[in-house]
Amino acid sequence: MSLSNILDNLSRFRQDAESERYGHHDYEHRFGMAIDLDICIGCNACSTACYAENNLPVVGKDYFEQGQAMHWMRIERYWDDEELEHPERGASFIPMMCQQCGAATCEPVCPVAATYHTPDGLNAQVYNRCIGSRYCSNNCPFRVRYFNFWSFYESSWPEPLNQQLNPDLSVRDKGVMEKCTFCIQRIRVAKDSAAREERNMIDGDVITACAQACPTNAIVFGDTMDPTSQVSLAWKKHEVKRGPYTHKEAKSDEEIRGYRVFDELNVDPSVMYLERVRDSEV
Amino acid sequence: MVQVIAGSVISSLTLTVVENIHRMKMMKGVKVNRRSFLKMLGWGGAGTALAGCDMPTTVTLEEGKEEVVSYLSPEEYVIPGVGVWYASTCTQCDAGCGLHGRVREGRALKLEGNPDSPLNNGKSCMMGQSGVQTHYNPDRVTSPMMRKGNSLQAVSWDEAMAELGKQVSSVSGDRFAFVSGSLSGHQSVLTSELLSKVGSKNHFAYETINTSIWQAVSKDLLGDAMPVIRYDKAGVILSFGADFLATWMSPVHNAGEYAKFRQGERGVLVQVEPKMTLTGGNADLWVPAAPGTEGVLALGIANIIVSRGWNKVDVPASVKTELAQYDLNKVEKITGIQGSKIKRIASLLSERGPALVLAGESTVGQAKGYEAASAVMLLNIIMGSVGTTIEPSVSFPENALAAKQGNTSSLKAFAQGLSDSKYDVVFFYNSNPIYSAPEALGVESGLDKVKFKVALTMFPDETALKADLVLPLNSAIEDWGTHVAAYQGGSATMSLQQPLMEPLYKETKGFGDIMIALLSKLDEGYKQFPDYYAYLRTSVKNMPAELTGGALASDESFWNGLLQKGVLKTTGVTGSLTATLAVAKVGTPTDHLDQTSLTLIPSARLGLWDGRHANIPWLQEAPDQISKVVWDSWAEMHPHTAAEMNLKNGDIVKIESKSGSIETQVAITKAIHRGAISVPMGQGHKEYGRYAKQTGANSLSILDPVFDHKTGELATHATQVKVSKTRKNQILIKMGGSDVQMGRSFVRTVSADQLRRTEGGA
Repeated sequence: MSLSNILDNLSRFRQDAESERYGHHDYEHRFGMAIDLDICIGCNACSTACYAENNLPVVGKDYFEQGQAMHWMRIERYWDDEELEHPERGASFIPMMCQQCGAATCEPVCPVAATYHTPDGLNAQVYNRCIGSRYCSNNCPFRVRYFNFWSFYESSWPEPLNQQLNPDLSVRDKGVMEKCTFCIQRIRVAKDSAAREERNMIDGDVITACAQACPTNAIVFGDTMDPTSQVSLAWKKHEVKRGPYTHKEAKSDEEIRGYRVFDELNVDPSVMYLERVRDSEV
Repeated sequence: MVQVIAGSVISSLTLTVVENIHRMKMMKGVKVNRRSFLKMLGWGGAGTALAGCDMPTTVTLEEGKEEVVSYLSPEEYVIPGVGVWYASTCTQCDAGCGLHGRVREGRALKLEGNPDSPLNNGKSCMMGQSGVQTHYNPDRVTSPMMRKGNSLQAVSWDEAMAELGKQVSSVSGDRFAFVSGSLSGHQSVLTSELLSKVGSKNHFAYETINTSIWQAVSKDLLGDAMPVIRYDKAGVILSFGADFLATWMSPVHNAGEYAKFRQGERGVLVQVEPKMTLTGGNADLWVPAAPGTEGVLALGIANIIVSRGWNKVDVPASVKTELAQYDLNKVEKITGIQGSKIKRIASLLSERGPALVLAGESTVGQAKGYEAASAVMLLNIIMGSVGTTIEPSVSFPENALAAKQGNTSSLKAFAQGLSDSKYDVVFFYNSNPIYSAPEALGVESGLDKVKFKVALTMFPDETALKADLVLPLNSAIEDWGTHVAAYQGGSATMSLQQPLMEPLYKETKGFGDIMIALLSKLDEGYKQFPDYYAYLRTSVKNMPAELTGGALASDESFWNGLLQKGVLKTTGVTGSLTATLAVAKVGTPTDHLDQTSLTLIPSARLGLWDGRHANIPWLQEAPDQISKVVWDSWAEMHPHTAAEMNLKNGDIVKIESKSGSIETQVAITKAIHRGAISVPMGQGHKEYGRYAKQTGANSLSILDPVFDHKTGELATHATQVKVSKTRKNQILIKMGGSDVQMGRSFVRTVSADQLRRTEGGA
């Protein structure tokens, strides 16, 4: 079962990658983000909001040291690689979370199809199906998959902290891989509401916890298949398209700021970043 | 009380809920296919199952009757599985942001910003998000405790209040003191009432992180203590250590305004400070002036501006002459900043205006901090910022409700009073000076001379454990309150805090409830109020029309509207600005010329704040924004300084001031001046629950008792320390393996020129 599954996945992935469809065949939505690194201030509001929304465990100092922190949304901070006495241009911050790739490298390697692509354009992780092979995290170029090496329930939520847990999603136990879901529980609620009202979802029906918290509105979330959504407009303005790697040269102006991290790997990430700006005359 | 909460909850439904109910009603008429029917069943089922665990399912077999209240007939407006959002106010710092809290099956689950609040416009910070972990914290005090012999023992509220009443009614007025953090709204009114009934003037509002000196200088030079700062109107912001994105004034509000400043015609941010703050990390140019020399740099820049005639406001010849002594060579020598860079900053102020110049902690935290801030303000005046990027204050029209802001000069006065044995009864509310006051002030030993110490607190902090009576408070999520933020960015708003859920513990009480109970013992008039809610309700009913914007406050719908929106926006009183041109006699610290000592920077963090959030696991595990270190303290040192002492990351160093010493691990970074060592404040609690206790070192404890000579504020950046290596070391635990991108270009950077070409702007 597992070997044929891998082969099936792989061949479908390759087929899709070479076709115009590029990825899943019958999307209902393709949720995506646009993150402006010029106004992201690196304050950690998004990351903490994610802990609150998604039942992320606090692993403690020792496990953090072993790289087992479960921060689905993390703010990476880089210094300019220069031989200056001080970082004169400040720091470079980037919020990094699962990029919900259209041609995700994590998906075809899962021996049990615990990670798969949903009709919403998300890389879903089925916790009940996951056997903890960790192939997916090994294959993720963004390093955004987090494995539960331990059962954190007792240590992370001593009573009554456990009362804060969001009942809309589970607490993951030992042996399970997890990652950013684009707040799938919020998407579900919005979809159900829209269905009840017999209407289509509209932009603004869903907002992820990170985007909702962001004090500078650096994160824009929405459906990239809805041409009128904020996120679609941002992608369009910055000339980033779904599908394979968009070369800078292919844009109407090379200097347009939109890019996707590791786009050159042809994984079709759903998150567009806008380049950080520094005033070099200063 | 319970009934009242339920009543308010019902009336405070936000639109979301109303919509949801509408949707539920509509469901009846909707054709349901098999799949969506099963889905609905699944959601409902999950909700019911959960609800069974913790909702009013009361089975009293003892009484011989069973009463099972199932969700088949839920409380009105409570829909199993559907979150309901209520408006309230954040109390994690004193910025007073509005909140929406999500409540499901009787539990508060998630906090978001309230879009109706003009302060935070629906946004929140990491501390605001963590409000739920303050509330559900496993280390809360759950019953009143009284000192009996040497230990604190649980007592009943009756016993506690009887003792409290006895102490308060017998103490002579001047021997009573009330120590709190910043206070506003009706909590402030009740505190003042208590003090006046006791006959005391000793209210010490104490906050380590404050903007007192900025306000004092604004008052003296602009005639307005709290002018509105228009980041969005500025073309260039020159900030001398003001970490406005993280710890200065109203961080979430500021961040929103900062985003406007960066978009459209992109403004330029220059940050001058010895240790990089979050704001510094976002600067176009980060300038590490030698610690304590920012005032000189400001005057040096002013000198260039007036000598080239770039000033937008006429400058008298006398001022020019005074400024002339800050010639470029001298300023370069004192500050250690290249002359060319200083000139560039001066020309930026003139070319990229409108300019906005700010002064924050590293600049004002000096023995001559007032003068340094005055020098900075001079730049605002000569660049014509007053009236453009600095606008007159707008203040809340009811003075009694206005913020009584905390500062550190009150801490100094309190410590002095303690050492003079001036007090018999002291109340501590939201204040933990044994932890956060420098040890040299002798607060801990001084408290031994106080006969009766009362701590109104949620947590067993250092001060509470020294107290004679500990009264457990409701969390912000369980309590009523009103808040009028000190800085409102141009609006005049009162924000309402309402309980999002019933108290977790039976034996905790609201601050207002305790105050009302105590006041009833001193004044018959307060007996009409059974609790704080009743008092608040009556106070709001009696609000004059100028506060309510013409609405009739006694009308029930006014109160319901307030509960629903969470904010009362009113027409503020606009101040006026009159600039006074004067050249301050700034100090030039001579201590750091001593090559063997470093300046200690106890920098404030958005996260642990002044140490009050060290007991929140999310915030302990959130990496520091700049160093990315977690769960511990660390000492930031420049690679050059570290190399001289042969130190590497994780080596434990002893940091010794005249007043004490701490030990912590080294974290080497280029984002600090060579002559400085930074140990962020907030860690090193001796008590305060499992997450805070024994984690890291308390850098506030070893500060020398140096105060700004004019305002009496603690000079937080004026302590010189000797650093010595110990033989110990540990692994420096931080997020991320590499500090540089190694050519992988996750974060790509482009020039502002390029941005202007592609996205417009000037």
